[in-house]
Amino acid sequence: MSTQYSILFKQEHAHDDAIWTAAWGHSAADGSETIITGSLDDMVKVWKWSDEKLELQWNLEGHQLGVVSVDISHNGAIAASSSLDAHIRLWDLDTGKQIKSIDAGPVDAWSVAFSPDSKHIATGSHLGKVNIFGVESGKKEYSLDTRGKFILSIAYSPDGKHLASGAIDGIINIFDIATGKLLHTLEGHAMPIRSLTFSPDSQLLVTASDDGYIKIYDVQHANLAGTLSGHASWVLGVAFSPDHSHFVSSSSDKSVKVWDANSRVCVNTFFDHQDQVWSVKYNNTGSKIISAGEDRAIHIYDCPM
Amino acid sequence: MASFGWKRKVGERVSKSALQQFEAEAEKTGERPGAGGDRPPGEEEEDGEEVDWLHAVKRRREVLQEDCAAKSERLKSEGALLAEEGRNWEAIKKWDEAIQLTPENPLLYEMKSQVLSVLQEVFPAVEAAELAVKLKPMWWEGWQTLGRAQLSLGEAVRSFQVAVHLCPSDATLREKDLGWAQTLQRQQRAAGDKTREEAEAQRLLLDAPELRRDYDDFESDEVLEACAAVAERQRRLEVLKRTAVVLDADGNVTTVVAAAGAGPERVGAGPERVGAGPETAAAASVSQEQLVKARGL
Repeated sequence: MSTQYSILFKQEHAHDDAIWTAAWGHSAADGSETIITGSLDDMVKVWKWSDEKLELQWNLEGHQLGVVSVDISHNGAIAASSSLDAHIRLWDLDTGKQIKSIDAGPVDAWSVAFSPDSKHIATGSHLGKVNIFGVESGKKEYSLDTRGKFILSIAYSPDGKHLASGAIDGIINIFDIATGKLLHTLEGHAMPIRSLTFSPDSQLLVTASDDGYIKIYDVQHANLAGTLSGHASWVLGVAFSPDHSHFVSSSSDKSVKVWDANSRVCVNTFFDHQDQVWSVKYNNTGSKIISAGEDRAIHIYDCPM
Repeated sequence: MASFGWKRKVGERVSKSALQQFEAEAEKTGERPGAGGDRPPGEEEEDGEEVDWLHAVKRRREVLQEDCAAKSERLKSEGALLAEEGRNWEAIKKWDEAIQLTPENPLLYEMKSQVLSVLQEVFPAVEAAELAVKLKPMWWEGWQTLGRAQLSLGEAVRSFQVAVHLCPSDATLREKDLGWAQTLQRQQRAAGDKTREEAEAQRLLLDAPELRRDYDDFESDEVLEACAAVAERQRRLEVLKRTAVVLDADGNVTTVVAAAGAGPERVGAGPERVGAGPETAAAASVSQEQLVKARGL
């Protein structure tokens, strides 16, 4: 247990080109920790995090035109990845084998997100629809229509009640999953929203935008609860810590910032990347942060608990 | 004796307009009371008691920067007008002057790259667009222009991927640019595979396993079989050489076997296939020569 923020581990040249996305999973079966990265080089790599270092476990091949988004199911058994050619692939993390390849149509896959019960995957489309695919069936089961623009980011609330989407024109939509109804449309940002995340209690929604701001919304009343500035350029990634105390953001200004969730003050800035930082995530306890970016490096940071 | 002034130090790379600006500024300073007539600036230090040098220099730099920006903006617009009229080289000249004044403006390099691409100046176009994306890496249009400049080099796909990742909602970029670049890449790969296949066939022919051993009896069936095997390889190589990788209208890559001799369908089917005629003939004669040599063993 550390008492201050510090960089713990660097994996340089983790890919042959820019890393666009990363995810941190925790296996319910054996408690092992898995990190997945997706890159412009078309590869999805599966890494084991043990003894404070990364070990490459699988190279998952098959995607074309670069891997845009990855996610890990909540039991840590399955990974989902999507690429610029609009294919979603599901992978068995034990064997490193592909389970399914879903062709989502010419321009209909961007971010992928597992539902809290891991039975569905949500992805946004260019016409503003959120398509929900069955993990078991590999087929589109239903869709939620924002009647808006290209959806760049998707997040399920941890309680499974809500789904939020962020569009290229800066509009945020929040759906009630049970009824499929559009609850709120928030005109929060004037520029693309590349990442959004719910707090662990599902009460808050944090959004990251190219306008350089991070905004916090109260999900219940759709109120703006705070606007945070601090990044000098686009905010590309945002993630909430599982203990609700902090959230972390990454930016094209090459920095990773940790924010106190209550006071909304930036408590630490990591300036360790050489180029824009595309993705940032917490591990399942909130003791570590992973970031990955254009400089092909994966960084793991220690967080005080 | 000729006096040594700062003007002598101006390199050839500073454009005339930038030089004029400096001169105008120098004159202005020269006219100030107390700075003394038309003496070169270097000598002013001797009697500069009334002049606040620290601030004068600072102010001069600010004024100069503002002027540069305004003038660069004007040159940029002038260049754009010229480019619209198709006077591409003149447009580039204007933008080069603008670049001298504001070397950090990515838009100037991007515009220049587009016009250079029109003029088929491939490498300068790529170079200019690379500077644009270096100055402004999150600007998708810069990457699009870089991709378009790289198309003829077959390296465009990555640039278009980066552009799509930054701006996935642009239909032209996604469908036209990226799609076309991918098609070209597929064609190149197919052509590369064919070249490798041909090289392998050639190698097998020149280093035929049948010819490695010594034959005691030159009249035996074994020798005849070996010759037949070599001839079969020869035939396969020739078929390979006659095939051409062709891109159809839908962007699919197919290999086409050209008919022996110049069939009517080959003429007029596109320049690369017409050109294949004499080449095939030459290749055939070379192959025959080799076969003769192999028999001579």
